[in-house]
Amino acid sequence: MPVNVALGHVSNAFLIVALVIYSLSVVAFAGDFAFGRPRRAAAAASGQQARDRATALASVGAAGAAAGSAPVEPEVPAATAGGEPVDDAGSMPELEVPALRAIREAGRWVLAAVALAAIGAAAHTTAVITRGLAVHRAPWGNMYEFVTALTCVAVIFFVFAMIRYRAWTLGVFVMGAVVVTLGLAETLIYTAPGDLVPALQSYWLDIHVTAMTLATGIFFVSAVLGFVYLWVDRYTRRVAAGRAAPDNGIVRRLPGIEQLDRLTYRTIVFGFPVWTFGVIAGAIWADQAWGRYWGWDPVETWAFITWVLYAAFLHARATAGWRGRRAHYVQLLGFASLIFNVLVVQVFIAGMHSYSGVG
Amino acid sequence: MTDVRAPETDPFDPAAERDDQPRPGSSSPGGTFGLADWLKWAWRQLTSMRIALILLFLLALASVPGSMLPQQGSNPASVQQYYVSHPALAPWLDRLGLFNVFAAPWFAAIYLLLFASLVGCVVPRTFRLAGSARTLPPRAPRHLARLPRSAEYTIALPPGDAVEVAARVLSGRGFRLRRPDDADLAQDWVSAEKGYLREAGNLLFHLALLGVLVSVALGGLFGYKADRLLVQGQSFADTVSALDEFHPGRFVTAADLGPFTMTLNRFDASYISSGQQRGQPSAFDARVTYTEQPGGPARTFDLDVNRPLSVDGAKVYLIGHGYAPEFTVTDARGHVVYNQPTPFVAGTSGNFLSEGVVKVPDAQPEQLGFTGVFVPTAVNVGGTLESVFPAADNPVVSLIAYAGNLGMDSGAPQSVYQLDTSAMHRLTTSPQVLQRGQSLKLPGGRGTITFTGYVPWVSLAITHDPGQLPALICGIAALGGLLLSFMIRRRRVFVRARVGPSTGSQRVDTTVQVGGLARTDASGGFEAEFAELAAELRSAHEQAAQHRHEGE
Repeated sequence: MPVNVALGHVSNAFLIVALVIYSLSVVAFAGDFAFGRPRRAAAAASGQQARDRATALASVGAAGAAAGSAPVEPEVPAATAGGEPVDDAGSMPELEVPALRAIREAGRWVLAAVALAAIGAAAHTTAVITRGLAVHRAPWGNMYEFVTALTCVAVIFFVFAMIRYRAWTLGVFVMGAVVVTLGLAETLIYTAPGDLVPALQSYWLDIHVTAMTLATGIFFVSAVLGFVYLWVDRYTRRVAAGRAAPDNGIVRRLPGIEQLDRLTYRTIVFGFPVWTFGVIAGAIWADQAWGRYWGWDPVETWAFITWVLYAAFLHARATAGWRGRRAHYVQLLGFASLIFNVLVVQVFIAGMHSYSGVG
Repeated sequence: MTDVRAPETDPFDPAAERDDQPRPGSSSPGGTFGLADWLKWAWRQLTSMRIALILLFLLALASVPGSMLPQQGSNPASVQQYYVSHPALAPWLDRLGLFNVFAAPWFAAIYLLLFASLVGCVVPRTFRLAGSARTLPPRAPRHLARLPRSAEYTIALPPGDAVEVAARVLSGRGFRLRRPDDADLAQDWVSAEKGYLREAGNLLFHLALLGVLVSVALGGLFGYKADRLLVQGQSFADTVSALDEFHPGRFVTAADLGPFTMTLNRFDASYISSGQQRGQPSAFDARVTYTEQPGGPARTFDLDVNRPLSVDGAKVYLIGHGYAPEFTVTDARGHVVYNQPTPFVAGTSGNFLSEGVVKVPDAQPEQLGFTGVFVPTAVNVGGTLESVFPAADNPVVSLIAYAGNLGMDSGAPQSVYQLDTSAMHRLTTSPQVLQRGQSLKLPGGRGTITFTGYVPWVSLAITHDPGQLPALICGIAALGGLLLSFMIRRRRVFVRARVGPSTGSQRVDTTVQVGGLARTDASGGFEAEFAELAAELRSAHEQAAQHRHEGE
């Protein structure tokens, strides 16, 4: 079937609209930091508590925490005593309040920002769907389409997580990263709607690439949260060392370091099985198309490296001396390997996955 | 004092599985550290999470050169190319196994150590999990309000009844219960635990990864890979002599090959003819006829890129295609000494500009040889031929003729795509371009070569991999285990009932405390579950109190 050019134009228009609305939502998220209603005292206190505790643990040292000998009160397990953190420390107090009311109570700026992000996501989704209808296939067959689809996943996933965990203060970072990524995709690698080479004409494109797109969108959010974590962690340590004043207005509004850690962990826990499924689906497809389920093609190799690094993150979180900062370096390394795979390996290294449609 | 933290042998806590801290008394008394101690120490190190983590990093790092350098397994031609362009470096890289990373001993060392570490960790955990199936939850801690989640209310029920009701609710929710025994004098509490499948899922995941490794090994030992180039109209049988390349596993013999035969009836490729993607293939179709057994019924099948044929335990894949120009050669005597399609292989210049050679050993008085280029859609650009489209819209060949000794009787194997011109002399000074049907008259009355047409060829991969299905099953099991271990949380809920402050009336007042904790709440949600559970307990208590009140 020929490409529906008119529908392709509709898709492009929706994508531009989404980009504009996203930009406005970033402005609104930033506006919340600048002019927004101060967080309720309880929330601020809890965040401060969490940071105090993190500082206290840091001063005890990794070894102390590792041996599980840190609890102040013998009958209550310490937040990080042994293994994964207990699901307690500094739960967001706003969780008690229903989500919509919590958004309203967070002030006009947050309300506007969340609404804009959601409307932008709707426009973005429409763009992706109309592109799919225009080319009569899953709309992630080349790199440009892959980036537009994965950012769409990232926004939807983040909006969901943001509302569920009342984490709107992270919106400026995630939505900002989405705007930059989408803008770069539009300007640098725009590819007109078109057909796919026979190698990609398989329902496994729908399964394998869809899973990879979903996982990448989720890991995109994890990576942004990882950067925020490292920043807050660095600031917290500087404050603890007396090298910075504890008056950073942005950090004060962000979730505490343990909440950030847990939120990031949960996004990766969500993304890792999807990535695993994508790799397995890819192996099945490779078996159908190329006669072997695993052949260490460069793209396969890098998907494996990414998988190993995220697995290392999950293990690092349960290993003394690797929790926290180092674990987040590992997950960022995992995301870096994923991006390297998409931007470098698929474009510049000859292999069987050279479908990027770039260059 | 009751501690909610699990005892050391409890698999509740993943960090307890892998010991990072040396245990007191781990060295033998008297300060001597014997071989057994060293081995014990080494094993404990290997199975520690820290070493496992380092091995994971090494595995990721070791894979990198395998994607950056050409690999013998997937692209031997590029390895040769690398030798030509880096003559000094290449032998060193080869010595380090960097052209065959994924079969290199040091790569194997990393993953085998990793799997040894995994076994050392997972096997004891499996036994512990099996043991924990009979272990009761711990006693309820004294101060439930100090747990991560807690609730408290008073109810008009005696403490014993209140705990009884709570136990019924928790048991109905699938919790495993523990009640006070004789040692806990006059206490009213119940401990409940749930989510043992989390650890089972975790173990399943790791064991399934082992299974994947075993499956890959199985395929490597008992499987085979073969290639065969098949020109349209020709046939072959799946025997070693008929295959162009044959890579058997260690335990595979020629007798294990399936005796099927296959004929390529026709092959069609279509290409996008306009727009940005002009020249990209849009569809392939290879119609083959095959018989599973000699003398068996002939069946037809349309091979496509994503559509392999399963035949006789093996799978046949369409992995490439090209053009085979047809030539007729007559020698000095006027005899037709060559009349067949000759597969040419597409080079890197695109649009199926293909190269090949024609060897005519039967020509008299001297053997003849030709090197040629096939151009499917030829355009003359400033004196050089270029192909502007992959389909054969304007096919031409360009030939250089040689005469002399082809060197084919020396016994050394020769490539059919290369002409050994060391014992030959060139007959034509410049390449001669022929349209379809045109002939080239060789100088000195040595005969003619006619370009009569062309047919397509396909390259087929024939594989047999007995590890394939086990690998798939293990992969799915790994995914299932992963989901179990992420989605299920291991949690404990405790209920304590104490006689509360007297209200002065005749009613019995009991303070009920509910506490809960989830250590491994990967996907979150214990908070909500606890709130719901506490509400359910409370309403069950209120109902029971109501009932009791009416009964009085």
